[in-house]
Amino acid sequence: MVFDIAVLTIFGLIIIGMAAYGYKISAKTAEDYMLGGRTIGVVVMFFFVLFAISSSWTFYGFPGLLYLEGPGYVFFIWGSVAGFAGLYMFLGPRIWALTKMNRFLSPVEALGERYESKPLRLVLAVSILAFIVPYVGIQPLGVGAGFQALTGLPAIWGAIYTAVLLIFLVLLGGMRIVAWVNIFLGIVYVTALMGSMLWIVNVALPGGLPGAAAAILETQPELLSAPGPRGTFTPVLMGGTFIVGLLAFSWPHVVIGAMTARDKNLFKWFPLLIFVFGGLFFYIIPFIWGSLVAPAIMPLEALTARAAELGTSVEIEADRVVQTIIVQELPGWFGVFVLMGVIAAAVSTAAVQLMTSSVIVARDVIQGVFKPDADDREVTRWARWSVIGIVILSLSISVIDTGAMALYLTDVSIPGFAQWSPALVGGLLWKRGTRQGAIAATLVGVIYLVLGLLITPGGSRVLLLDLHPIVPTLLVNTIVYIVVSLLTPAPSEEIQTQFFDEVDEFLRSES
Amino acid sequence: MREVMEHTAGKVYLTYLAATIVGMVVAIVRGAMSVPEGGEPFLLFGWMTAPLVAGIIFVLLWLVGYLVYFFKFWPYR
Repeated sequence: MVFDIAVLTIFGLIIIGMAAYGYKISAKTAEDYMLGGRTIGVVVMFFFVLFAISSSWTFYGFPGLLYLEGPGYVFFIWGSVAGFAGLYMFLGPRIWALTKMNRFLSPVEALGERYESKPLRLVLAVSILAFIVPYVGIQPLGVGAGFQALTGLPAIWGAIYTAVLLIFLVLLGGMRIVAWVNIFLGIVYVTALMGSMLWIVNVALPGGLPGAAAAILETQPELLSAPGPRGTFTPVLMGGTFIVGLLAFSWPHVVIGAMTARDKNLFKWFPLLIFVFGGLFFYIIPFIWGSLVAPAIMPLEALTARAAELGTSVEIEADRVVQTIIVQELPGWFGVFVLMGVIAAAVSTAAVQLMTSSVIVARDVIQGVFKPDADDREVTRWARWSVIGIVILSLSISVIDTGAMALYLTDVSIPGFAQWSPALVGGLLWKRGTRQGAIAATLVGVIYLVLGLLITPGGSRVLLLDLHPIVPTLLVNTIVYIVVSLLTPAPSEEIQTQFFDEVDEFLRSES
Repeated sequence: MREVMEHTAGKVYLTYLAATIVGMVVAIVRGAMSVPEGGEPFLLFGWMTAPLVAGIIFVLLWLVGYLVYFFKFWPYR
């Protein structure tokens, strides 16, 4: 255990050292702290975004769900790959150009100005924060589970360790160093996730992946196809999961990444990396882990017995199955390396979410509503210190709600993130979209989602028609946006010129 | 996206992407990922399940479309 703690201490000090270096070289302006001075190139951007979206969920929740439910859930990944690529192909250039030309520091600020509405800015800020903040807290807790499995110490110590790293990294480093650190963390993450899988296959599965599939075919063949052992992933649910993945373009911490781009050339090359490295390589690793390697080595009966022995649920143990197998099958020293990978995954995501949250708190809530005359230094200071409050708040919420990780992401956070997408897409692409439409649609969508998740008589989400939460809420949100926009006066000529014609001209001329 | 809609190549590209999405949803809903009654799960190379193969084909289709459009036709290239 001393060795594990020493390694984790060194790892943490490297991250803090990078953050301190970032603080030293930063320009100490709000633009530099919040958007890395808009100087992020394509390779850094790729690692920045890929590992911002690939959290400890990719290590725990995703393989855990595949382990229990079969391969149907992977359609979320295929949809997400297309969604992220779509963001950078279709919306990214306009978000980047618009915010660069007008010196906007947050996407919410850009939409507030586009719709000429402070109330909308507040509504968007609060709704995004409401769904992103709990998700930040899931990351340290995810690490806590792995920390406990490796060291035997209470999970809370792993969560505190991760939270402290996050605070130092974001508070000192800002967006540029978060992006750079994501490269380091991403390398650790990929090496741990892939290295552990290759090693495990080598030592525990002499027949390789075909041997694993053959073993599962004998013991639990329903794990190799939809709808899975529990019959969950029906064709309708898989189709819905795929559509939910497509809406990944609306994740606020990914949208803000587009604003940090150095130039428009980035948007031409970025999708190539997402398709080749993300879709055809990276996400296949946890898929193989959860759908083949884990069930072949530790069948469900063994995991059920372990859950009973530990007094936990099968769902919680499934979330930890990758870590459990590594601890059981590989030498002890490798376990700490894998935990570093999990910490890297958690920190790389939570840091970007924290940065996004702090930007929205400082720029859109405090300066946008309460202190419009705050200067650059004050806004930066608010952004830095709000980090601590957000971490404490998010951890508290996550401790109270200890639902399974994968389901929290797809059932709560993503439907919540999606509620600003009609206002976002309409604001960027549709001249006729109005402030009344945006406010009404966002409020209706968020309220409908919250009520639909809370009111569940007999465990049934009656208000959501027992569909995935994103489907009815986003449909209603979009209809309200279009109808109310068409019924209210069109935006002024100046707004249409500033947010559409000038952006088109800038993108055509910018080289 | 406004620039993509403004020319024929862009409209073809968007139609192509939309068709792949519709094709994927139709394949899923028509039961292409399930096992027929009494049958065995589909396993390419002995281990690649149907949802994995379907996703890889989908990503490859998007990759090819993107390469052609963004490097030959994109107005801001």
